[in-house]
Amino acid sequence: MPPDEPAFAPPEESPEPNPSEPARTPSAGSDPAVAAISIRGLTKTYGSLTALRELTLDVCPGEIFGFLGLNGAGKTTAIRLLLDLLRPTSGSACIFGSDCRAQGLNARARIGYLPGELGLYLDLTGLETLDFLAGLNRQAVHLPYRRALCDRLELPERDLRRRLRQYSAGMKRKLGLIQALQSQPPLLILDEPTDGLDPLMQEAFYSLLADVKRSGATVFMSSHILSEVERVCDRLALLRKGELVLLSAVRESRRLAPRRVRVLFTHDVALPPTLPGHQFVEFTPRLWHLAVTGPLGPLLAVLQGLPVHDLELEEARLEDVVLKYYRD
Amino acid sequence: MKHLFLLLRLSLKRVRLLLIVTGFLLAFLQLLRVGIAADLHNAGQFDLLAALLPPIVRKLFGSAFGSILTFNGIVCGVYFDTGFIIALLALAITLATLPASEIESGFADLILARPVPRHSIITRTIALVLLALILMLLMILAGTWIGLVLFAPPDAPWPSPRQISTLSLSLALLVLSWSGVALALGAAYRRGIAAATTALLIFGAMLLDWAHRIWPPIDWFARLSPFYYFDPYELIGAGSLRLSNLFVLAAIAFAGFTLAYFIYSRRDIAR
Repeated sequence: MPPDEPAFAPPEESPEPNPSEPARTPSAGSDPAVAAISIRGLTKTYGSLTALRELTLDVCPGEIFGFLGLNGAGKTTAIRLLLDLLRPTSGSACIFGSDCRAQGLNARARIGYLPGELGLYLDLTGLETLDFLAGLNRQAVHLPYRRALCDRLELPERDLRRRLRQYSAGMKRKLGLIQALQSQPPLLILDEPTDGLDPLMQEAFYSLLADVKRSGATVFMSSHILSEVERVCDRLALLRKGELVLLSAVRESRRLAPRRVRVLFTHDVALPPTLPGHQFVEFTPRLWHLAVTGPLGPLLAVLQGLPVHDLELEEARLEDVVLKYYRD
Repeated sequence: MKHLFLLLRLSLKRVRLLLIVTGFLLAFLQLLRVGIAADLHNAGQFDLLAALLPPIVRKLFGSAFGSILTFNGIVCGVYFDTGFIIALLALAITLATLPASEIESGFADLILARPVPRHSIITRTIALVLLALILMLLMILAGTWIGLVLFAPPDAPWPSPRQISTLSLSLALLVLSWSGVALALGAAYRRGIAAATTALLIFGAMLLDWAHRIWPPIDWFARLSPFYYFDPYELIGAGSLRLSNLFVLAAIAFAGFTLAYFIYSRRDIAR
């Protein structure tokens, strides 16, 4: 794709393109054979402190990738290394095949970035900020698309003409999202994107993300909101103290967690024999609360003939997996 | 080039008030200076003023002392007046440490996460300092010209264009040399540290320069101070412009700018 060609062009005939109906074709964003992000052995140390250790992962084009970790786990460090804002101690990273350091300009030409802490000049208006940042991109910004984004995130023209010192934290966050999305980059790198957004705007953002994904763009987002990652991401990576401890599809990672089963009895029952893969969380003569890893068959076999009044099955939660890694 | 233009335009927009206020203040003070010089000339009080000044001041100005205490000397004194120099240096430090301030505010993240080469930030800053300096010198020149038109006594000779241009060049190179120091420090450290360090260095270098004028044995040591190579008093008197001095000041500026490019290209952009 030529660098100056917009990757996510709204339909020419439509004067008011709707971001919910993106026009980008999957091939327009990138070569599907080349990873959107390819990280190999990326390490960053500050003296004796290792902020990131030997990170290796690939992000496929078109996927939404969640980057999880507690504060200080190394998420932002990894993102800043991708953007060549930080220089790695060792290792390398590529964006659509372009090395982040040696071909940094080409790599960054394909990125839309939302920093975790947005540094804005408060004496500028929202519109001045967007125009200035749009001018630094290689891709031209389609104003109707930007207007549609603003409408969707409820940042009207009137607010855009106000100085940023009059903006609330949520409005600044919206502006940050718009500046990242406005040039329709094939790769979005978002650092804690919903931080400061109210629940309604979070919903608008999730819907926007779904449209961006449909258009063929790739999203790499850091978050520590597990429900958010569970909801929007295809795959996730979990960092702990700078090290990658889990890399998995969200659906797969859920399987790593035990399902919660509660069995209520009409009469008192005795403690059952030990079942492999079953752990009793709570036990009373009329209530069993178990954590079940694996199939439920053995439990159902035990329950046959017992006075079962009710059975509740709780879906495995990503939180259980992640918290386990955090605690470990 | 487009991003360089955009960066420079944004920076100019943000510092325009500072430039306008400083420019008009310097022009007004110069206007006032010309008025005072005209009063002293008309009253014939230069000899009285010279007699009142302590011997240490005579030593500071050296052989140019007689030329400075004239209408022309007082008018041209704007180009070596400590107050004016400090004002220009303060402005230069403020502008030259802009890259450090952008990193601290996080705005550099938004710029450099786009296809903008890092050297553009330093080039923009040098261009900004140069434009600001030219503007300030033009404002001082405007103050001088208006002052001369309004107040100059008919029998007092006006500073020659050559005198003004050589004094302006010397002052510009002095300010640029310190801008180079501030820019190099600002490329490596936080804005506060860079600005304070440059200010301390300026203060020390200024003291060293004054000291060597009063006590010549430390002349070899005073060569470390950029002020040593800024000798406007000669230009007020019969002396001519020493190109070697200008080269030294330009070399300091060049070294500072080069160091800034080098440091900024290698450093981590982190608050």
